Amino acid sequence: MSDASTAVAVSAPQPVQAARARSGFWMRLFRNPLTVAAAVWVTLLLLAWLWPGLLAPHDPYAGDVTLTRTFEGPSWDHWLGTDGQGRDLYSRVVFGARFAVNSILIAMVVAIGLGVPLGLFSGWRGGRADRVVMWVNDVLFSLPIVLLAMAVIIILEPSLPSAMLGVGIAMATRFVRLTRAVTLAEKEELYVDAARITGLSPPAILRRYITPNLLPSLIVQVAIISGAVILIGATLSFLGIGAKLDDPDWGVMLARARFDFRLEGIWQIVPAGGALVLTVLAFNLLGDGIRDSLGRDAASSSLTVPRKVALPPVVQLHASGAVLSIRDLAVGFPAPGGMVNRVLSDVSLEVFPGETLGVVGESGSGKSMTMLAALGLTPAPGYLSQGSVSFDGREVTFLPEQEWQEIRGRDIGMIFQEPVAALNPALRVGRQLMQSLLVHTDMSKSQARARAAELLAEVQVPDPERRLDQYPHEFSGGMAQRVGIAMALACEPKLLIADEPTTALDVTVQGQTLDLMAEVQQRHGMAVILITHDLGVIADAADRVLVMYAGQVVETASVSTLFSRPRHPYTRALLDTMPQSHRGHGDLPVIGGVVPSAAAWPDGCRFAPRCEFATDQCRTSVPLLEAVGTDLVRCVRHAEFEFGPHAETSA
Amino acid sequence: MTAPFLEVENLHVHFAGRSRLFRSAMPTVKAVNGISFAIEPHRTFGLVGESGSGKSTVARAVLQLTDVTAGTIRLDGADVTRVPREAELAFRKRVQAVLQDPYSSLNQVHQVRTIVGDGITRHFGIKPGPEREQRILALLDEVGLAGEFLDRYPYEMSGGQRQRVSIARALAVEPGLIIADEATSALDVSIQSQVINVLRRVQADTGVAFLFIGHDLDVVRHVSDDVGVMYLGYLVEQGGADGVYDLPAHPYTEMLIASVPVPDPAAQAERRALRQTFKKDTEPPSPSDLPVGCPFANRCPVAMDICTELMPEATAARHGGHVRCHLHTSGPVLAGESVVPYIRSASTAR
Ligand SMILES: Nc1ncnc2c1ncn2[C@@H]1O[C@H](COP(=O)(O)OP(=O)(O)O)[C@@H](O)[C@H]1O
Ligand code: SF4
Ligand code: SF4
Ligand SMILES: [Mg+2]
Repeated sequence: MSDASTAVAVSAPQPVQAARARSGFWMRLFRNPLTVAAAVWVTLLLLAWLWPGLLAPHDPYAGDVTLTRTFEGPSWDHWLGTDGQGRDLYSRVVFGARFAVNSILIAMVVAIGLGVPLGLFSGWRGGRADRVVMWVNDVLFSLPIVLLAMAVIIILEPSLPSAMLGVGIAMATRFVRLTRAVTLAEKEELYVDAARITGLSPPAILRRYITPNLLPSLIVQVAIISGAVILIGATLSFLGIGAKLDDPDWGVMLARARFDFRLEGIWQIVPAGGALVLTVLAFNLLGDGIRDSLGRDAASSSLTVPRKVALPPVVQLHASGAVLSIRDLAVGFPAPGGMVNRVLSDVSLEVFPGETLGVVGESGSGKSMTMLAALGLTPAPGYLSQGSVSFDGREVTFLPEQEWQEIRGRDIGMIFQEPVAALNPALRVGRQLMQSLLVHTDMSKSQARARAAELLAEVQVPDPERRLDQYPHEFSGGMAQRVGIAMALACEPKLLIADEPTTALDVTVQGQTLDLMAEVQQRHGMAVILITHDLGVIADAADRVLVMYAGQVVETASVSTLFSRPRHPYTRALLDTMPQSHRGHGDLPVIGGVVPSAAAWPDGCRFAPRCEFATDQCRTSVPLLEAVGTDLVRCVRHAEFEFGPHAETSA
Repeated sequence: MTAPFLEVENLHVHFAGRSRLFRSAMPTVKAVNGISFAIEPHRTFGLVGESGSGKSTVARAVLQLTDVTAGTIRLDGADVTRVPREAELAFRKRVQAVLQDPYSSLNQVHQVRTIVGDGITRHFGIKPGPEREQRILALLDEVGLAGEFLDRYPYEMSGGQRQRVSIARALAVEPGLIIADEATSALDVSIQSQVINVLRRVQADTGVAFLFIGHDLDVVRHVSDDVGVMYLGYLVEQGGADGVYDLPAHPYTEMLIASVPVPDPAAQAERRALRQTFKKDTEPPSPSDLPVGCPFANRCPVAMDICTELMPEATAARHGGHVRCHLHTSGPVLAGESVVPYIRSASTAR
């Protein structure tokens, strides 16, 4: 055990990546020039709020006593002109930031102070308390915001702070909704159960566990609502129930343009309105920018994808008669700093009609990626950097997506790990079964429906006619997987690819599903590629096996050879770790450490850091696949090993 | 024999089905229907069954995360069926858990230091500082993680590393019982064996009792001293782990064993033949509409008339535990012997 633990400690270069992910937020945020502009504007606003004198050359209240310089247009003295009392409009706009930011502050303190605790309480308690809170909240939510503000003004006094108190209450309803939704979702997470088991009290769980998860959406919401608050504040001031008539508030300035009864006064709309519009826009852009930069997925979208390099087809490489043949496939993912992670390299395989090829390996070894890349589905920003794929004798490596779609739906069936999630929840199962029949064949609707019922019967779903009209959620995992198999079979495919088809199922259902797949294959004679991490499933269903490790094929053999005489130390170690290989209750053999991430693959044999047989020759050269009969193995020392079938060790 | 640390007696957990939307009464979900078992210190009790058989509900009931409908739960002899709020903290110090999903059972926003340290602060009053740091390091060492993991966030760790952190978090309060609910099910086989070894060593070092829940009988047998096989909220068979595995007396236990594929094509061909004797297209009845007789009757290859009429009582089994099946009480009396030869001969006779 101790060597396993040190190995764990040594492998794992991830902290660097994590630090990058955190600093990546700012980089992503400021990649968008609009967001940068918005941030600059908000910074100016804050400066004007803190030290207006710094930006404004004139007193915003002191007019020209002689009243000679009123209603001027922009000039050198008054950059934005003057108003009816000869006051400098630019300075008034700058001082207006005071009112704007103060409005936001009051409204936000009230809105967050009321909304977040209430939302947390309501979501956490649930039941009657939740219903009461949400009922009151919904009523308040449906009232016009200006109405609420006026109600508060009537109770207190007509001033900007009391108006903003009202706005804050109205905005609190938005925060209640948001907070409650997040709380409800987080409450179901296992880590909340874990916190209760640790003995933390509900307030501590809410404060330390749920609030941090709430913060990102809260920040976005604050930015967007801030824009709305300013607009409402200006509206109230415009109506004369916010800031005083003398104040350099943007809304008041807009109102004055109307009250001054002079055509020249119209100009005042431009500076005040401009400041208002720009501020609202800035807050919205900032909110959008933050939201777009927060997601986990956002991290990868910032990387640039190199152009696809088209390779001359090398058809002669492919075995004749194979349904699918892959030669020397490599897939790269752009990594930070202009690097490329080659998540797959020199992957070759072929599968023949009637045969089941098992692909086995730990998670992260590249099993699913091989299939996706071969079928033209390499997920962005990944790209095919090398290799050739032929399907049914036809070179398909760089087939246009449109042609691929036809092949995939008709000649290649696919089954996935999460059977229920793989179905469209909004469509009846019958409709989904009929869809591909209608697209890929010239059946009529009624013919397609009859065929769909036939398909369900073939995969042994009881009562197929009734089941056709049900929705996916009415199916158990096992039954949903049968539907998945039926869909894959719909157009009599030549190849069936099953990616961990039984991993999410119960063991009993797993057995039934494997039996069903075998039956179906026998009847239709198609080729099957079965991807799994479970060597037991391989022993049950595969004819030939491909063992993958760290993006490479490390061994291929017939199923009987693989288990009776494994050649690669990794295959051997995988077999050893299975609890089924051991009668007693002693320690299980382990493979120390974890599959390293693609960025940290060693230069020589990729298994070397975890291999007990590693020597210097394994660390310097990259061992290539070497033939042993028709079997292949990627290990420079394989000839020295004589691994028997796994020993029954007992303690 | 030492006194048991955990005793569960005749536990029932029913969920009153009430529809939010219509306020109408929905059928009651009978998730756990009268199960009893006990775990001594230093020992592991394994609970195995398909999903929906009630395993997690048993765990949640013991953990006070769900209300008990009937029955008694005792810890060290004291009744903890319903722990009053003022006694909750003391209870939490004695029972901990490692939950299934290594991804959602750790909060993404906290570092390992906080995840493991919280319990130390809460239960021993040791504030963050050098003393707490020392304790956390010792715990990480115990589960095979180096000190550099202190500053890691969950998203910077693999599934196996996360489960080690979960184990360290559970160990932090020095509990007498750890409940591991599908703690290794989501892991790769090679990582699963690492985590199982960690659990074994922790038990050897601290004497903690384990309730180990899983759906793979080969794994559960390996880590457990005793096992209970759950089906639709009933314990249909229980006894010593090797005994139940080698001499299964209940057809359902045999179905579970036959369903786990073994990494050996010849042996697996035999298991496959055995699993094919079980009905393929029938699903378990709904826990809100339990049958009168044996709950396994509609899937059982050797069901008899009496099976749909009467719920079998628990009878002694050859392996020293007991079994609930009419094969052992009426009908062809197997008297606790293994059901395997009987199922084989019945299936070849057909
Ligand atoms: N809170 C709940 N409300 C209603 N039914 C529940 C609840 N929790 C579990 N159940 C039901 O109880 C049964 C047993 O579930 P569970 O204990 O989770 O099984 P297992 O852990 O063996 O998969 C299932 O039918 C499940 O749907
Ligand atoms: S090449 Fe060397 S390190 Fe790699 S598997 Fe073979 S013996 Fe081990
Ligand atoms: S009681 Fe009857 S139906 Fe139930 S397991 Fe035994 S033989 Fe099968
Ligand atoms: Mg469960």
